[in-house]
Amino acid sequence: MDPSASHRGTPTDSQEGSPLSTSRRSRPVTHDSLLDSRLIEQTLGRVEHLARWMGWRLRFLVVAALAGCLGVLLLARWMAGTPQVAAEWVTTATGQLQLAASSDPGLNFHVGKVLASVGSSQQRAISPDVLAITPSARWIIDDLDRVRQQAMHAQLDSLLAQQTVRLTFADGMVADVQPVARGIASLGALFWLLAGLGLVVYMVGMIVVLASPSVRTLLYAAMCSSQAGNLIFLAVESTVALGLPEPLSRLDFPCRLAFDLITGAAIVHATSLHPRRVPGSTTIAWAAWASMIAIGLPAAGGMLQDAWWWLQGGVAVMGSATVALLVWSYRLLRHPFAIVMRRFGLMAVSTWILLTVAVAIASADRVPSVQQQVAEVGPVIWYVFLSSLLLLMPFLSKSQQLMREFSLLAAISTVATSLDLLFVAVFSFGQFTSVTLALFLSLGLYAGAREWVLNRVRSRNMLTTERTFEKLYRIAREVEAHPDRTPILLVRLLQELFEPLEAVVVEKRSPTVRVVSDGSTLLLPVPALTDKQVSAPTSIVMRFANRGQRLFTSDDARLTDRIVEQLCRAVAFDRAVEQGRSEERLRIAQDLHDDIGARLLTLMYKAQSPEMEDYVRHTLQDLKTLTRGLAAPNHPLSHAAGEWKADLTQRLSAAQVHLGWHLAFDRDVSLTVVQWSGLTRVMRELCTNAIAHAGATRVDIDFQLIGDRLDLFVTDNGQGRNPQAWAHGLGLGGVRKRVKQLGGEVEWREVEPHGIRCHVVIRRLS
Amino acid sequence: MAIKVLIVEDNPVARSFLCRVVRESFSDAIVITEAGDLESARRHVGPLHSERIEASADTFKLILVDLELPDGNGMELLTELVRYPATKIVTTLYSDDDHLFPALQCGADGYLLKEDRFEVLVEELQKIVRGQPPLSPAIARRLLSHFRQGPGGMGALAGLGEPALASGSGFQSSRPLPLGRGAPLDHERLTPRESEVLTYLSKGFTIKEIANLMGIKWFTVNDHIKSIYKKLNVSSRAEAAVLASKHGLV
Repeated sequence: MDPSASHRGTPTDSQEGSPLSTSRRSRPVTHDSLLDSRLIEQTLGRVEHLARWMGWRLRFLVVAALAGCLGVLLLARWMAGTPQVAAEWVTTATGQLQLAASSDPGLNFHVGKVLASVGSSQQRAISPDVLAITPSARWIIDDLDRVRQQAMHAQLDSLLAQQTVRLTFADGMVADVQPVARGIASLGALFWLLAGLGLVVYMVGMIVVLASPSVRTLLYAAMCSSQAGNLIFLAVESTVALGLPEPLSRLDFPCRLAFDLITGAAIVHATSLHPRRVPGSTTIAWAAWASMIAIGLPAAGGMLQDAWWWLQGGVAVMGSATVALLVWSYRLLRHPFAIVMRRFGLMAVSTWILLTVAVAIASADRVPSVQQQVAEVGPVIWYVFLSSLLLLMPFLSKSQQLMREFSLLAAISTVATSLDLLFVAVFSFGQFTSVTLALFLSLGLYAGAREWVLNRVRSRNMLTTERTFEKLYRIAREVEAHPDRTPILLVRLLQELFEPLEAVVVEKRSPTVRVVSDGSTLLLPVPALTDKQVSAPTSIVMRFANRGQRLFTSDDARLTDRIVEQLCRAVAFDRAVEQGRSEERLRIAQDLHDDIGARLLTLMYKAQSPEMEDYVRHTLQDLKTLTRGLAAPNHPLSHAAGEWKADLTQRLSAAQVHLGWHLAFDRDVSLTVVQWSGLTRVMRELCTNAIAHAGATRVDIDFQLIGDRLDLFVTDNGQGRNPQAWAHGLGLGGVRKRVKQLGGEVEWREVEPHGIRCHVVIRRLS
Repeated sequence: MAIKVLIVEDNPVARSFLCRVVRESFSDAIVITEAGDLESARRHVGPLHSERIEASADTFKLILVDLELPDGNGMELLTELVRYPATKIVTTLYSDDDHLFPALQCGADGYLLKEDRFEVLVEELQKIVRGQPPLSPAIARRLLSHFRQGPGGMGALAGLGEPALASGSGFQSSRPLPLGRGAPLDHERLTPRESEVLTYLSKGFTIKEIANLMGIKWFTVNDHIKSIYKKLNVSSRAEAAVLASKHGLV
């Protein structure tokens, strides 16, 4: 039996992952070439998936299910028909059997007496000892004891087949009892539970292998079937009071030996293939199977000395090999599946070793009662634990929460039982003491471990929730400005959330957010956040969550779905706000322009003097700049520059002033309203000054935007001098104010032979 | 023989100012008809039934239309007067392309900015009548994209073709007519020279500067501009016709 069986390497995810695993197997190269298009294609296109189920697989599955159920029912019926003495036995400290209870009125009188022998009229009497009520030969350490147990069970079986059985007690009293069929009701809850679990394990194995037949799924099915077999044997043994009916007593040891060894070899074989095929996987697989056969055949034939030790050792070695393979495999490909499986593996191997040690110590003490109890209870718990691990594997990515809780519980109950048995064996505590102690210890362990695990998970999530929302709204704003960058921004957000090893944008349509490929990959469609997005449908593919430490779960998919939804909402909200704002701005601009503009125009026409007329005209032009700025949210620099030049040329040429225009910029930035109107008015004001006050005949404007630094030189050749002494009237004050608004500085200097140069510098425009 | 001029302008002060500008601009005898709104303007123009109104002594030679009128937008009148044989000029306070471009498409031969000085207006008006319409950088840019996309935009390009129109960055009181879709005909394409001129204009160069840069005479540059105007008018008229036939109006 194999502790490491928990990490079987077959594709766990029969429904989701099968097409992917098929592709990986057929092309081992793609293990390393990440996110190759074919992989994506296969995971995205799952059209024929349902159709496949309709064929022979479904029929085969139904047949397998029916066969399984029928098998269990027939077994139960047969068990019900086997004759039995209605009595319960316990072992004394010396290894003899003591009648504990009986429903037979003839035996009631003898309760508490030690059984000396069992015989009948036709058959020689035998003296049953503890071995008679030890159900499984598999957990008997001593080779001779095992042979004796098998012989004793065979004899008891034939005795019970007689009409009457004579029980001779140690005090000489004799009781003749008629063995009767035990009836289906007396099989007990444990029988049905174990048989049911066995059936479920078997069915899961069948489903997985039929969903996607491959070497790996076959190995998984082999493990499942083996464990199902083990569970069925355990179920049968749970019902036995005295002697195991033929042929089960004969088959018990070889069958259960085979089950354990097959599981051990299969797990090593599977791990060498999944999640990544390791170099030399074929050799490893052959070696595993060969060594298991080398142990199994002689052991089953009774030719192996210390067969139990060989078995336990062999399985432990297989388990350790599996863990080692997973570590290696994780180094080659950081698939989180390997990590999860490694944890399971360690858990299973260590409990296996603990169980082995407990059984060995109990048997070394030679206290038959203890030994019997250990051998009976320990393996049941362990096999149930292993079977649940096997069961969980295909659903790893479906619900990590449930799995975490369950595996924690299962592991700790195994530890508790092992501890209980150890206490009983080593310290010879009483039954009650040891159970209580073990229970408390394991409960404490469970509480602590659970708290620790949950804390780790929760604190991490809570931290990111807050940050996620913050990021979400920031991204929404960025997406609004650059719709084409949506995928990249979304990838960045999700990267912070899940820390995947890889995150790639592919040009494929994916209908929903999905976890695929054994939970290693999360696929999500990039939402169309804005109307203007005309690009092809894209999807984001993330692999290996939490830097390859974690599998994606359906919870993650749901979270991602919510995040995308929130992002859409935030963008829509932002857009609505922005639209409202721009509508409002437009309305203000229109009102200003229409009402104030018309009045200023009338005022201008009616102006008494040319100066007044010019003053009103400039005011009107300023108003137009203002309303224009309100109406258009941003202005490309190249467009603005063209208008500046035309406007200034017109102004200056009206005053017979020549304009020298030099424009240099390394990229066409988009000016905000403030920048645009600020620069427009600064240039206009400086030119007006050059015309009105300096009396210049030439104005040179040099505009440079290099990187983020803007330099504006306005040079005239007028008679202005000594700028420090200028009175800062409305004009120059306005220039200073606007430059300061833009976060820049302005200074005036004399130039030779005559004229003034104004230098505006804005070091960080954006 | 007196030249008939129609001035449609609701502000009486502005109207008398424009009258002065018109009288100053031309040496001929001039009869000015003033209208304060669209309705009286339509009355003065008379019925527009026939396909093409022959130019006669009765028809107006020059029509100045304000865009913002009490009973509607001046562009409505321009659209109605598409086949009227007069020089039509938009007089407005709006100088941005969002307002002017549709007006030019409606068949205006030029535009005057009402806040300009008297002398400037006189000069501009004379130029327009002589066939030298103004062309601001913003409008040149708009023309470039108009002709590059094909009028009204083509298929998928429509969204990108006229972002300003689509996004409604302007604040005009009434929207321009929806434009029809048509195959790009000859009159919807610019010659390389015309494109070059428009490109320079959009960068703020003056006609003289463009002539220097292109190594041609300034009046050649002007011819290009006139031709561009004509193409814009023709193309928009063609569109209007297509649109009208689609709606069963013709």
